[in-house]
Amino acid sequence: MRRFLSILSAALFVCVARAEDRVSWEITPRVTAPGQPFRLQILVESDVVLGGAQDVGKEIKPPRGMALRLSGQIIRPDSTEATLNFSGVAPDQEGEYIIPSFNLRFARKLIIAPAVKLIVSKTVAFRRSEQARAELEIPQRTFFVGELIHGAINMYGGDSEGVVASFGLESVAEGFTFQISSDRQTLPAEKGQGLQTTFDLTPIREGESEIAINGIMLIRSADSNTFSRAGRDRPFTFRRRISVEHVPEKGRPADWSGAIGQFAVETVQVSNEKPEVGEPIRLRAVLTGTGNLDRIVPPELASSEIWDVLPAVERRRHSEEQRFFVYTLVPRLPGKHATPAIRFSVFNPETRTYSKLEFPPQEVTVTGNAPVKVDLVSADPSAPVGGPSKVSGLATPQPRQGATFLHSKGPVAPLATSRGFWSGNLLALLAVALTTSILLYAGYLAAHPEILIRRRARARVSSALTATADAQRRRDAHAAAAAAVGGLQAGCAALLGAESEAMTQSDVQRIFPDANRDDLDVLFGHAHAGRFGAQSGHESTTAQEVALSLLRQLRQLL
Amino acid sequence: MSRSLLAFACWFTACFAAETTGPSEAERSYAKGDYAGAVEQWQEEIRSQGITAGLLGAVGNAEWKLGRKGRAMICWERALLLDPRDAVALAGIRHAQNAGGTERPAMSWSETFSTALGADTWLIIAAASFWVALLSVVVPKMRRKPANAWTQRARLTAITLLALSVPALWGARSHASRAVVRRPEVSLRLTPTLLGEPIHGVAEGDVVRTGRPFNGHVRVTTAGGKTGWVRTGEIESVWGGGLPVDLDQKAAP
Repeated sequence: MRRFLSILSAALFVCVARAEDRVSWEITPRVTAPGQPFRLQILVESDVVLGGAQDVGKEIKPPRGMALRLSGQIIRPDSTEATLNFSGVAPDQEGEYIIPSFNLRFARKLIIAPAVKLIVSKTVAFRRSEQARAELEIPQRTFFVGELIHGAINMYGGDSEGVVASFGLESVAEGFTFQISSDRQTLPAEKGQGLQTTFDLTPIREGESEIAINGIMLIRSADSNTFSRAGRDRPFTFRRRISVEHVPEKGRPADWSGAIGQFAVETVQVSNEKPEVGEPIRLRAVLTGTGNLDRIVPPELASSEIWDVLPAVERRRHSEEQRFFVYTLVPRLPGKHATPAIRFSVFNPETRTYSKLEFPPQEVTVTGNAPVKVDLVSADPSAPVGGPSKVSGLATPQPRQGATFLHSKGPVAPLATSRGFWSGNLLALLAVALTTSILLYAGYLAAHPEILIRRRARARVSSALTATADAQRRRDAHAAAAAAVGGLQAGCAALLGAESEAMTQSDVQRIFPDANRDDLDVLFGHAHAGRFGAQSGHESTTAQEVALSLLRQLRQLL
Repeated sequence: MSRSLLAFACWFTACFAAETTGPSEAERSYAKGDYAGAVEQWQEEIRSQGITAGLLGAVGNAEWKLGRKGRAMICWERALLLDPRDAVALAGIRHAQNAGGTERPAMSWSETFSTALGADTWLIIAAASFWVALLSVVVPKMRRKPANAWTQRARLTAITLLALSVPALWGARSHASRAVVRRPEVSLRLTPTLLGEPIHGVAEGDVVRTGRPFNGHVRVTTAGGKTGWVRTGEIESVWGGGLPVDLDQKAAP
């Protein structure tokens, strides 16, 4: 029994026992010099197939001053092992640095990586100039809200490494706006070889705050060749505490409109130095320098007795660090005048003082005469209504002139839109066309009377056919013969151009030479029985059949 | 006879006296600077007595003074359709172009030719000359007599006038196929859709040439030659007559 229980407990232990995950790490080199790059490798062995790790870069929190980035992971689809490689740069201060424990989220399992210790010691021999390195370049002073701060990340190549690219530059800071102004530019010659990425920071609230700028540069070793790895990525991170203040109220001019920086008046010019009265000219002032050019509110120029100033249209050239102020000036009086001076105040963050800038007036000679009826101030439609009555450039209204001939009360539409105009013309055109056609047809018929004669004869032949057939059905031989003879006479007369009453058997034979004369004689005899006496009925029937046949042929001929 | 002449002279004098009475209420309002009042009174005058080029020009001036460039340009352009030589409308448009920054397409030679008499006059001339030419051909044929010398002269004159009026009618048509931008800032869009990419901007009061409508948009060409689509409600056609449309008033269902 005891033996059975021990076997059972052993089997149960085997069943419920869970294989532990084994996580180990290795830093190369184990002890680094300040600022020396290192590699961290984490090896994971598990009892399940792990799959890929996700969001490792977000889980790991390197200590202050240390840059660390996941550079790759080696995982086989059917393996329970995984290897994760990190590249990093040691802090600049000596000491022991602990990378806190962090989670490794594999597809099948969450595994906790232990804390990793890195020792930084100055005793380690390390030539910093051999390695590629990044440096943050930003002014060391108190900044002001709204100021534009130019900064740069300079990535220098070392004796045995070169910087070939950079990516992923980001800022983690509150109270600032961050914008990259130029990316991956070649370093200026005086700074050596490498790349430079410049950025602009603008504080948006006062107080002490810290900015953190992270990024990655891609390096290439001097001993790499075509068959080696193309390059390696090396992270960098910078943290700076920055103090931000509002611009001082003491000595702040009333016309200061937010300009912070060091600016200079470059040029001011007019588009036409000899305009006429009322001819608009363009006054263009160019401001240069470093500072928040975008945030400067254009100085207002008030209209005067001499100049009418229309709203400014401005442009900015980012690449040249310039700002254009453009005004449209309209001279109102002739003579030699100076354009209005453009003035505004600037705060210099270096000296913490305010100064005034002025674009000097330009001399303009206005030709022409002083307007008597033209006041160009009223040219601006946005001018306030109800002001003092001014003479206008518009003509005096003459509402009683230009009365229309047709004096309509409704909206006057152009005649071409009138449906009545077009339909009336169309109807008239149709009437003219119809009348013309009728007249032409009538003229044609008058010129060719045989058309109507044959048409009438055809009608008479058709009616004779009908009448003959009716008379045959009634067995009225005399009526049938009379109808048939009438039809033959009418048809033959139309073809021969004679009168129908004058047509005889011989005339019928002129049209139908094959017709039997005896039958025609019988037919005509029956038709005129009242005058010449009646014929036999049998012969009459035969003659009527012949007459019907001749009538049908005659209708075809007509 | 002498009594009749005296009565006619009295009537003519009375008419002339009525024409030369003092300024109207609207004119006094305009002179005082009450442009809103002047617009209302002139509009009332138009509704009660009918529309004229002079009234439209006067309303255009008052609208311009109120800063409503689009309405003013519509009034002046329509006044010119009624009377191409209306001095007030011509001065207003010139003023808007020179001092107000308004853009207006340059007229082609046929359009300039058409403004010599006005679109309606050219159409009446064309219709009359067509009929004279047609009847001068048809009537002798109907009468079966050769055309006499007067008929031939009438035919030649009518055909000449018809030939002259054809380019004028073409110019009047293209001159009238324009519209005035009524909204303050309007984008010319690449495609006639709500999400069409804006390619150019036109301002209120600018005159554009209109093309075909499509999908609630109209293809227009600006004075600078830029072509694009604008929404139908953003412009008002010059062709049509009457006072400008009140864009703030909702259309009847």
